[in-house]
Amino acid sequence: MPGFDFTNHTRNAALHARGVPLPKATSTGTTIVGCIFDGGVVIAADTRATSGPIVADKNCEKLHYIAPQIWCAGAGTAADTEFTTALISSQLELHSLSTGRKPRVVTCMTMLKQHLFRYQGHIGAYLVVAGVDPTGVGLFTVHAHGSTDKLPYVTMGSGSLAAMAMFETQWKSKMTEEEAVTLASNAIQAGIFNDLGSGSNVDVAIITKDKTTLKRGYVKPNERSKKQKSYIFKRGTTAVLNEKVIQREEISKYVTVHELEGGATALGEKMDLDV
Amino acid sequence: MTSIGTGYDLTNSVFSPDGRNFQVEYAVKAVENGGTSIGIRCKDGVVLAVEKIITSKLLKVGANKRIATIDRHVGAVSSGLVPDGRHFVSRARDEAASWRSTYKTPITTKDLASRMGGYLQAYTLYSSVRPFGITAIVAGWDSELELPVDGQVGSGPSIGSGGKVEGKTYGGPGLYMIEPSGMYWGYYGAATGKGRQTAKAELEKLDLAALKLSLQDGVKEAARIIYVAHADNKDKEFELEMTWISNIDGPTKGRHQEVPKDILEEAENLAKKYLEGEDDEETKDDDKPAEGDKMEE
Amino acid sequence: MEFGTSGSLNEGALADGIHVDMDRLKKGEVKTTTGAYIANRVTDKLTQVHDTIWCCRSGSAADTQAVADIVHYQLGMYATANNRPPTTQTAAAMFQELCYENKDRLSAGLIIAGWDERHGGQVYSIPLGGSLHKQSYAIGGSGSTYIYGYCDSNWKEGMDEEAAVNFVKGALREAIKWDGSSGGVIRMVVLTKKGANRHLYLPDTDYAVRHQ
Repeated sequence: MPGFDFTNHTRNAALHARGVPLPKATSTGTTIVGCIFDGGVVIAADTRATSGPIVADKNCEKLHYIAPQIWCAGAGTAADTEFTTALISSQLELHSLSTGRKPRVVTCMTMLKQHLFRYQGHIGAYLVVAGVDPTGVGLFTVHAHGSTDKLPYVTMGSGSLAAMAMFETQWKSKMTEEEAVTLASNAIQAGIFNDLGSGSNVDVAIITKDKTTLKRGYVKPNERSKKQKSYIFKRGTTAVLNEKVIQREEISKYVTVHELEGGATALGEKMDLDV
Repeated sequence: MTSIGTGYDLTNSVFSPDGRNFQVEYAVKAVENGGTSIGIRCKDGVVLAVEKIITSKLLKVGANKRIATIDRHVGAVSSGLVPDGRHFVSRARDEAASWRSTYKTPITTKDLASRMGGYLQAYTLYSSVRPFGITAIVAGWDSELELPVDGQVGSGPSIGSGGKVEGKTYGGPGLYMIEPSGMYWGYYGAATGKGRQTAKAELEKLDLAALKLSLQDGVKEAARIIYVAHADNKDKEFELEMTWISNIDGPTKGRHQEVPKDILEEAENLAKKYLEGEDDEETKDDDKPAEGDKMEE
Repeated sequence: MEFGTSGSLNEGALADGIHVDMDRLKKGEVKTTTGAYIANRVTDKLTQVHDTIWCCRSGSAADTQAVADIVHYQLGMYATANNRPPTTQTAAAMFQELCYENKDRLSAGLIIAGWDERHGGQVYSIPLGGSLHKQSYAIGGSGSTYIYGYCDSNWKEGMDEEAAVNFVKGALREAIKWDGSSGGVIRMVVLTKKGANRHLYLPDTDYAVRHQ
């Protein structure tokens, strides 16, 4: 059967009734913000992903594409924000194609809230929806239970209190793009430095009538500094017990080999190494 | 209607090359053979009357009612195929009940007519069904008072609510006639069935648009018109069935009810007396020599 | 006020509709909370469901928004299908149906207020169980407990618009004063033949000056 399985819930409720303490919900830490300015809207996010007490990803993407001029910042359960935004993005594009109009931010917000309300909070997506459409600039928050707010500046996630402190002290109406981007970025940094659940870099998306600019790693306040000492083992630390040399011609017996086009180098993300 | 069917009349929903749906026209034919039904919209109520042809001496007098109550304040009668009329009534009751459960307030006669118009029209669209072989007359009295929402507790301030638009009245009598095509209109006086032409001619004389006719007189007129309309069809016996809906201050207090026996009988007696008088006049007319026949001396 | 499941947004609201001589007037003090944190200090709990039919929402923000959105849609359909604007009663019936049939799934306390040609101004209250109460004025939400006395002694039959606005504002100021989870701005809407007229009062000016 498709859908959610609630059998564990019954079990947990029974265990809880017998005195077993409920597991503590791990806050999925994030700081996300949004702020409108004269002629557009900016949203920003930190890039830390956590799994319990572990930092699962130091540079993840929390700004999700919905439409060219509509973007979402997501907090909560990573998989839920990812799939919910992807689903709505897909439906909105089909809707846009069938109506022949540009998608609107309120449409996106309404679809998200109706989807999330249907799942009664079980889909843990907390979103900041922002964009510019033919009706103007839009900025909303959508909570997992399906409630929405419309405000000139918004924050969400575990770092939202720190971020909101920045807005409540520094926001003013009719800001320029530069002022709004700086304030949003500062609000994220307030989360990065003061909230344990948030960290690493600041990603920013600026949406105006004419274009959307995604600035991945707009601020990187946590670049790892060069190690003062190398901890690499010296060559020969591990004793060599025997040695066998396999020739290039023989290697295809062990693995599949693809020749690269003349002189091309294989592309792949460079791994962070402890050097 | 010259129906050169050429195959276009064999199934419902199919247009003939000149844009007609023959099945609907045949349904109208079925109506034209049915007993006459009429409705009169009076200033303080509405009357429905039907000429019920007695098809057998064995049928119990006064049984087999042809006018039905749809909701407390609405009644309906039809001419044409009786079973189709029964289905119409059943659906109308469902519509009225559904309106009540959705909006917690009685359906207006107009809204009911609209819903039923839509329902009958749908029966002209599909090859799997045939149109209704009836023309129905729906009559009702929509309350002129402010009604509470069904199930509400309390009634607000004792002085009533402020800010109402002064001088406007609401509710009142409603009379609609719905044809097999689904077409429906609101009427001052409506007639359908075999004697409709005669009945319409009589209704037109009443100047119903002036809304001066009282419900009490309306009942008498209705009975008379059914009797007059039957006069062209004397070989068949008939029973008169009549219902009415008065305003809140009238005899039925806004409800759809049968016209009480004594009032019905009085109206029938007057109708018979009228017909006798008419016969006398006719004979008198016959006796008088026509103008042109005057003998020249 | 603690209804709604944990983690959901509760509107520690004070909603108040009042019945006045000329019109319908609604008020909602405005703040949305998640636990102790105020998620939105200028929430608009006065929600339009038709031209001159509005509602005050209290309880779960998600639930009341969902219900109001549905009724907004249904009233729009009603108006086009029947070629006439819906009455306040129609709206109240729709709200009640949703609140009653889904009572075990909803945390919604609503006040419905509206003006229509035939019935003038009316106020209906739909508390938690989904019953429907026609009232002269209605109060609801966490702050309402503090102002039952104020409202009872200050409400007068047949007030004019100005008196009603002052009554409503006076009641809200008391509620904000005594209730820890009521506060922020005072929003009000006056519903008359002329349409919906919004009022906004800010704490900066002690709610004395109308800003909108």
